[in-house]
Amino acid sequence: MTQEVEVLLIEDSASDAEMIIRALKKGNLANRVLHVKDGNEALIFLFGQGKYEGRQTKDVPKVILIDLKMPKVNGKECLMRIKADERTRKVPVVVFSSSKEDSDIDECYDLGANGYVVKPVSSDEFEKAVTGLGTYWLVTNEVR
Amino acid sequence: MDNKIAALQSEEIEKRAAELIIANKELVFQNKEKEKRAAELIVANEELVFQNQEKEKRAAELIIANKELAFQNEEKGKRAAELTVANKELAFQNEEKGKRAAELIVANNELAFQNEEKGKRATELTIANKELAFQNEEKGKRAAELTIANKELAFQNQEKEKRAIELIRANKELKKAEDDIRHLNEELEQKVIQRTSQLESANKELESFSYSVAHDLRTPLRAIHGYARILKVDYGNLLDNEGNRVINNVMDYSMKMGQLIDGLLTFSRLGRKELVKVNMPMRDIVTSLCNEIKSDSTTSHVEFVMNELLPAQGDSLTIKQVWANLISNAVKYSMQREKPVIEIGSKVNGNVIDYYIKDNGVGFDMSYAIKLFGVFERLHSDEEFEGAGVGLAIVHRIISKHGGRVWAEGKVNEGASFYFSLPQNI
Repeated sequence: MTQEVEVLLIEDSASDAEMIIRALKKGNLANRVLHVKDGNEALIFLFGQGKYEGRQTKDVPKVILIDLKMPKVNGKECLMRIKADERTRKVPVVVFSSSKEDSDIDECYDLGANGYVVKPVSSDEFEKAVTGLGTYWLVTNEVR
Repeated sequence: MDNKIAALQSEEIEKRAAELIIANKELVFQNKEKEKRAAELIVANEELVFQNQEKEKRAAELIIANKELAFQNEEKGKRAAELTVANKELAFQNEEKGKRAAELIVANNELAFQNEEKGKRATELTIANKELAFQNEEKGKRAAELTIANKELAFQNQEKEKRAIELIRANKELKKAEDDIRHLNEELEQKVIQRTSQLESANKELESFSYSVAHDLRTPLRAIHGYARILKVDYGNLLDNEGNRVINNVMDYSMKMGQLIDGLLTFSRLGRKELVKVNMPMRDIVTSLCNEIKSDSTTSHVEFVMNELLPAQGDSLTIKQVWANLISNAVKYSMQREKPVIEIGSKVNGNVIDYYIKDNGVGFDMSYAIKLFGVFERLHSDEEFEGAGVGLAIVHRIISKHGGRVWAEGKVNEGASFYFSLPQNI
């Protein structure tokens, strides 16, 4: 099945989003990436509301990359809503954040995150992290 | 024949009848005799009954007479006994009269003696009276003295009462002062609680401030590094050497800033971290860290001298961080030597254990020793030695949280020694 959107990127920082999309492109992984700027937009997309009304909600992304600090609906809240809904519960959600705090990591796994990656400052490391993530979740990982 | 027999039989029968008449006459006579005897027997019986009655009367009279006799005998016995007693009493009284007479003689003698004694006593009494008169006089004097003493006592009692009143007043004042102090203490405690909670919330604010500053700073920093890299990779061929050098510098300094932020974050995380105290295998912790250094080709020439490393109680994760920072510092500042030697050990010092790590590196000027453990404080430039200036600050913070102490000794170009102490029983 070909998804309308393969990667849902939830990221408020334009520069981080640009770097992520650039890295995915470099790894030939960015065929269908949707970038939304906060949790609220991600949720209305996933649940076919607002400007996404009428969208086939069964058509879920292969992976969701989510930042933690975001305006409106923040990462943890968004993660919780995704994992609480039957339609989106099984979609892999990987947290991609600046925070190395144990409390953040624990909390995200408790909320059902499938992975947690700290954004490296070094852009070389950053690129490696993104392509690694993309390869794993889009190519290696088996979804239904 | 038959007639003869019959005649014989009738003869016989006649004989028999005659005998029977005689027998009957006899019988009648005997009956008459029997009746006479019976009448005589009745008379004899009546006589016998009468005689028996008489005998019983006599027997009863005899019993009474015997009793009377027995009583009279008893009475006689009593009288005889009384007489014996009376005789004894009489004999005793006679004896007593004799004794009394003898006693009277003695008493008379005694009386004579007593009269003599009375004369003596009268003389003694006269003397005693004189003595009594003297004593009375003395008593009068003492009474006068007692009156004075009583007055004095009354005065003193009065004074005591005054003092007692003063004491009660003083006690009341003391009590009030104590109450005031208690009240002030309570107020103080309240203030301490208030201040503590204010301080705690200020600390929390500060923590969350530094946390979010550090995180928010990372995003633009990543952007700077990322865009510089795009410039270098995608457009590097359009720039000359100087342009490429500048871009490299932009990338290096942004990385450096990233390290500073990481250091700051680690340092601030430590402040919030709860220590989990266990028995730490110090030797194992240090050995594994040293092995890491030895396995790295750039530092494999560093020689470690391991002395005794006593086990201690503490949070092994953060104590491992302490050793990692101290060992990497020792390596960093001595690896330029031809033969870098790092000596590690410990010794008991009172109720604490002192751990040490000594190197033969570049050392430092002791006048800056105090600056060593401050955040972002450095004694060397980045050109000389790279570093963010948080390693020793982290060491200081961890050891302080364990209730221990950190210090250093050194001399320029003659190596440095770092020490930290941990309580033996935390």
